[in-house]
Amino acid sequence: MNPKTLRTLVVIAASCAAAPIAALAQQAEPAGNPVEGARKVQMCQGCHGIPGWRTAFPEVYSVPKIAGQHAAYIEKALHEYKNGERSHPSMRAIAASLSDKDMANLAAYYAQSGLGATVQ
Amino acid sequence: MMHIRILISIVALAAGIAAIPARAADAAAGAAKAKEICAACHGLDGNSANADYPRLAGQHRDYLAKALRDYKSGARKNPIMGGMTAALSKDDIDNVTAYYSGLPPVVTARY
Repeated sequence: MNPKTLRTLVVIAASCAAAPIAALAQQAEPAGNPVEGARKVQMCQGCHGIPGWRTAFPEVYSVPKIAGQHAAYIEKALHEYKNGERSHPSMRAIAASLSDKDMANLAAYYAQSGLGATVQ
Repeated sequence: MMHIRILISIVALAAGIAAIPARAADAAAGAAKAKEICAACHGLDGNSANADYPRLAGQHRDYLAKALRDYKSGARKNPIMGGMTAALSKDDIDNVTAYYSGLPPVVTARY
């Protein structure tokens, strides 16, 4: 095997090894700051902080539990409310007031707030 | 006396309404359907490993059902969930939500 081929193979092997690690790092990397998120959480607690609380309009169902939810999912949901892809009136109003950074911080706060919880 | 009779009637009526059994969801059938359709992304235990997919374990059943109905109707738009819910019947929704809402959530996020 000539050195050039060997070098190419090494580069390919290194890329293959690095790709999953990079993907993992990206997934585990916290974008938001939960301490900052805790400062904005008052606007969420009125509905998400009361066990058994239900929505009032336009359809009645339980307000979802969000403690321990993946931060990436919470953040995406907030963006979708802000840009109108999701339509719950209260959540659209709340999300409209949040910056991208606020969303990341709140998502980080709620993702870790249920840490260690195993009860239903 | 009249008032008491009315009161008794109301109580009896309320008790009767409460006694009407809700259509029983079948969590075991839900588990089978979940394995077939949901588990690849959300995990069979409802604690998805991939942060892009929400954890479902222990979530309120009526919220999960609302989400599935909205995906199915198109009120909530998501290319993956739109496709996944298209084939779910009302019974399937009852069953998979009974299954996932009854599982214990496991929280692992660390910051």
